[in-house]
Amino acid sequence: MPSTFSACVERRVFDALAAELVRETDNCLDQGADVLLSVPGHPAATTPFIGAGRGDELVFSAETTPEEVREFCFGSPGAAFGFVSYTYGMLLRGVTSAKPLDFPLGHLRKYAATAGYDEATGTVTMSGEARAMDGLRKRLARIERNPPDADWPLPLSAGPQEGPELSLPRKEYEAGVRETLARIRAGDVYQLNLSTRFRVKRPELDPAGFFLNLWSRRPAPFYAWFASGTRRVVSTSPERFLRVRGKEVLSQPIKGTLRLEDGENAQGLAARLTGSAKEDAELSMIVDLIRNDISAHCEVGSVRVAAHKSVFQVDRLLQMYSDVSGVLRTDRDCLDLFFEAFPGGSVTGCPKASAMAVIDQLEPHSRGVYCGSMLLVRGERDMDSSVAIRTAVCDMQTGILEFWAGSGIVVDSDPASEYQETMAKADKFLTPEAP
Amino acid sequence: MRILLVDNADSFTRNLEHLLLATVSGADVGVIPYVGLAEADPADFDLVVISPGPGRPEDYPAYARVFEVGRPVLGVCLGMQIINQWRGGRTAMLPGCIHGRAEVIDWNGQRRQVARYHSLHVTEAGRGLAVLARNDAGVIMALGSRTHGLLGYQFHPESFMTPEGGIFVVHALDFLGLR
Repeated sequence: MPSTFSACVERRVFDALAAELVRETDNCLDQGADVLLSVPGHPAATTPFIGAGRGDELVFSAETTPEEVREFCFGSPGAAFGFVSYTYGMLLRGVTSAKPLDFPLGHLRKYAATAGYDEATGTVTMSGEARAMDGLRKRLARIERNPPDADWPLPLSAGPQEGPELSLPRKEYEAGVRETLARIRAGDVYQLNLSTRFRVKRPELDPAGFFLNLWSRRPAPFYAWFASGTRRVVSTSPERFLRVRGKEVLSQPIKGTLRLEDGENAQGLAARLTGSAKEDAELSMIVDLIRNDISAHCEVGSVRVAAHKSVFQVDRLLQMYSDVSGVLRTDRDCLDLFFEAFPGGSVTGCPKASAMAVIDQLEPHSRGVYCGSMLLVRGERDMDSSVAIRTAVCDMQTGILEFWAGSGIVVDSDPASEYQETMAKADKFLTPEAP
Repeated sequence: MRILLVDNADSFTRNLEHLLLATVSGADVGVIPYVGLAEADPADFDLVVISPGPGRPEDYPAYARVFEVGRPVLGVCLGMQIINQWRGGRTAMLPGCIHGRAEVIDWNGQRRQVARYHSLHVTEAGRGLAVLARNDAGVIMALGSRTHGLLGYQFHPESFMTPEGGIFVVHALDFLGLR
């Protein structure tokens, strides 16, 4: 029989429970948990989530339909959590690719027990099967009695590292930017996001420690840990794709990035970001695209733009974003909205379908989970999801860590600057030990 | 009013649909993809709207049958260029093309902010089409013909950067004799 339990605990106790379960995932797949952590007070903050004890799973293939996903999420009680890959988004948008599919196109899971943390009330709420819940409650009580030290994250292992090997090294990336500029001038696309894939051999890497270490030192609003077969998805995204709470729809696209160097004045740099005509155009274009993408399932006249060109700081980067909101039509659910708008416009470019086709021609790699979404569905009108940028996949079998980074190209982009921006975004995984 | 909105695989078409629905009282807007145009009968509609989109006007030959039917047509961005092409006008690459930018233009004696997204521009208006607006740099921003029931906007009334997009829809209805 499903049951629920609530208790007031400190946030660090909840995070410590999540950390303990994440560590256990690598020891035994039947234990452990998938988790979503977030930064309180951040504009894109989400409700932290722990899914423990594996229940049903849906591993996407090319044949998986949104209707099957809907049946999986809504056909039985409990939250569903996992990822939907960018590659699945290509199928949804009718963009064909000759690249091999070497990773599940999506993977969602249900759990024996789940836990969430409400920052406003300081309350942890658990639900699920009584036995699994009992286990979680006992763990929580034990952690509360013996709270972890402030330095609970594992240190990063400093073992041998080969690489990185880039799918588009500097010369090729800059050539890709120049080709993109030619396509923009010809009118094929208005903006395009070009990425490169990094591949590093790190057989000694402990992905759980890697995830927790990054979380403790470089937190962001959408930190997701998810086990998929022999792979561990480590997603550290700052960007919300779509949230649905009842009838309220919110998307917070990010465009415009500046690296904050030591001793630099964040306020001055933010003014440089908001004052840049190029960054303004980049964000405005994607705001119009998101308005379009949510309009299919929102009430006419309800779609609004607020906080346009706001700036926040994450990963020693300043990022510009806007709030695009709408009112979900009464006859639609959150997955109608998700699959209509997927993948997020900030990682495709505009118009979306033609940008995705050009991306497939210019990028030699598959994006896989990168630029897809980490998705948490609690109910038909209760969902939150990220744009899965700043995301890595660690294969436990091969010891290979893959991650990706990219930048949005507009007509006045400079190839060298776009490459530098891409490297700045990859820095989190390239030099995770850096302070 | 029955409106047919033809989507040229653009990412702003629904913004245009919502603007039409919010502005035109009692409007019934049917949206079809460009590839489905052959199966629609433009004669069933009071107004045909050609959406923005990627590429050049010559990439969209199927609009010939829309024009041949003779119903009023409003074209936005690429849509304007398609109208112009049908009337024998010319389109060329816009030096230093512009995307996602707002600017203020002269419009019916007033200054209005509009959003621009275009790599191409009309360099020669087609037969019978009058240039109705240019921006401060002389780029054609609107053209049309009351006689032929054709109107095109190079800017995007459906963008959030065009704060009063509705006035351009109302103007279109007046211009095309639909109000």
